[in-house]
Amino acid sequence: MKTVLQLIRKDYILFWHDKPAVSLTFIVPIFLIFLFGSIFSGVSNGPTGIDIAFMNNSDAKVAKKLESVLDTTQAFHLVREFRDDNGKMVPFDTNSIKDYIRKGSAVAALVIPKDAFTDTSMGLKLKFFYDPKNDMEMQMIEGILTQRVMTQMPGLFLTGMQHKAETFLGTDKGKSFNKKIAETVGKYFNVDTAKILHWASWHFADSTNIDSASSKSNFFSNLLQLDKEQLVGKEVSNPNATRSVGGWAMMFLLFTLTATSTSLFDENKSGVVLRILSSPVSRVHILWGKYLYNFSLGCIQLFVMFFVGYLLFKIDIFSNFFNLLLVIVAGALACTAFGMLLAAVSKTAAQANGLGTLLILTMSGIGGAWFPTFILPPFIQILSKFSLVYWAMEGFMNVLWRGSSTIEILPTVGVLIGIAAIINVFSIIRFKKGDLF
Amino acid sequence: MISIKNVTKNFSTVTALDDISLEINKKEIFGLLGPNGAGKSTLMNLLIGYLDADEGELVVAGEKVTRNNLESRKKIGLVPQSIALYDDISAQENLEIFGSFFGIRKNLLRAVIAENLNRVELYDRRKDKVKGFSGGMKRRLNIAASLLHDPEILLCDEPTVGVDPQSRNAIFDYLEKLNDEGKTIIYTTHYMEEAERLCSRIAIIDHGKIIAAGTLDELLLMLPYEQTIIITKNQLTEHKKDLFNKFGSLLNDQEKYELKPNEKLKLSEFYKTMEENGIGYNFIEVNKPSLEALFLHLTGRRLRD
Repeated sequence: MKTVLQLIRKDYILFWHDKPAVSLTFIVPIFLIFLFGSIFSGVSNGPTGIDIAFMNNSDAKVAKKLESVLDTTQAFHLVREFRDDNGKMVPFDTNSIKDYIRKGSAVAALVIPKDAFTDTSMGLKLKFFYDPKNDMEMQMIEGILTQRVMTQMPGLFLTGMQHKAETFLGTDKGKSFNKKIAETVGKYFNVDTAKILHWASWHFADSTNIDSASSKSNFFSNLLQLDKEQLVGKEVSNPNATRSVGGWAMMFLLFTLTATSTSLFDENKSGVVLRILSSPVSRVHILWGKYLYNFSLGCIQLFVMFFVGYLLFKIDIFSNFFNLLLVIVAGALACTAFGMLLAAVSKTAAQANGLGTLLILTMSGIGGAWFPTFILPPFIQILSKFSLVYWAMEGFMNVLWRGSSTIEILPTVGVLIGIAAIINVFSIIRFKKGDLF
Repeated sequence: MISIKNVTKNFSTVTALDDISLEINKKEIFGLLGPNGAGKSTLMNLLIGYLDADEGELVVAGEKVTRNNLESRKKIGLVPQSIALYDDISAQENLEIFGSFFGIRKNLLRAVIAENLNRVELYDRRKDKVKGFSGGMKRRLNIAASLLHDPEILLCDEPTVGVDPQSRNAIFDYLEKLNDEGKTIIYTTHYMEEAERLCSRIAIIDHGKIIAAGTLDELLLMLPYEQTIIITKNQLTEHKKDLFNKFGSLLNDQEKYELKPNEKLKLSEFYKTMEENGIGYNFIEVNKPSLEALFLHLTGRRLRD
């Protein structure tokens, strides 16, 4: 038994000195548990602050009420203005709010039209413009919107029901019917009959605006009519594959480039670097060689993955091909820089691979490769903007989903190149100070 | 051919080379003998420009050697201590890669590779992956990879580590042949037998300093005795060992004892003592002293300590 205990002790000593193994055993799972736990166990209390472009053209009090309900909804952040070409903040109009969605500044816009409450005999009619670049996010927005309207504005039901009765029975009989119902409810539930009868007018004070013209339509569907219009991605042949290909491609590219960058350690250990440096080759040559090799491999890998997506899932990569190449180049550049950084800051290949795994999973998780960032806790959503996966995915979505032009994707491409530049400067400093060569 | 003047190299708090000066002539095989950590590999790394000296100057074939001077590297071929080859590709592909760094034209490179593979008797295995090679074959390929650009100088940094005696001899023969063809060779080792066999001149290095340099005969003259007596180990008990102390100092090696005779030694008395103690002549050799003995004499330590 003593021998077995000594063997166990030996393994613990070796394990503890193997920092990558320790990090993969504890830190990576802890982070992933936190991330998934935050999303699926309600720690983050659902999504928060999803930008919704908003315009209220109605004077009806019900519209004001809806606006205030949405304003206090944690999941949404209503955006009422946009920055025009002159840099001034101006309120939306019908065209600008659509452009706002088309440009990807927000994924959804809600418009309360002037006739929101008079256009229907039962409830609200709203206009909803959306960009389903993320299906899950869109379903959640619609769900929350419907739920907020239905639960926070019960008067709409009551008013609608009363109006339906009057339409069906005739005004006099209907009013009589409504009165009897109200008296019965008031009697048994000890509620003021007048309040029940005039709930909507008491609550919104303008129920007289209800128009009977469309009262023949379905009662429940008329309570909330979302007049939906998809503004982006209508021509995308395979939305689900198009949405996900970028994130997964980036994650695997990061793994590939981490492995190729850290091969420097193996080459150094085997003496190959020494042999190469004994020929007319400088350290700068070696770093450039490795960098450009990784970069070209990254470009090829990304292209192949998108091409396979085209072959298998009909992802349209050719209608905006040049811009796709631009994002591929910028993404590969940023991933290459990341791989070289790992080689620069680590002392061994094992250390670089351990650190790489941790960072890649983290960046993929918070960057939106696995699930949309809107369901992450708010502070992680902020962190996600520092992840190159996030920006690469933005770039790919802009190109493949939105069909963005070169000028439109320049900011995203610029961020990726900027990330690469910053990482490269840091890596060069580390390579100069380090003892890799 | 190679001039090393007052070279010092420090790593943090360790002085790897301390004010070293050497002149190595064209077409000689120069041995650098010393224990592990003596500074041999550091000197090699300075000669190829992998490291810069903190002080002093190194000149190779008229070119000053620095990290930034790539020209001097064209005149040198390095055989690294480790097997610096890519295991997962073929011997031919390895040589194509390493040869390409010297700007050799593709057709010429192919011919040079074929020639070198033939010389190290690996041409028939040229398409095989290196990972399938024996230790000796890898070592031979390791040398071939250093000769593709036909360097004037070959730096061999312990090129026979882990090699069986047969392959070691093959490597020695090959290096001697290269030397006959005009190449200058610097050979580092901690095996005195290798230095004794191969090198026309030897420098003994310890703790970053050259403690002796010259031909083998010149070095051995530094010893206070001209012969050494080797006694096979299993012939001596502890009691018998004491008998020899009056004839000199007895060194304990792995398979034998080596007696450093003192100046008063008389061979007749020595043999008489052996006879009286039942130690036969067959188990005794009288030899010239070795570099091992010199190293011990100079440092008080054995080469492999």
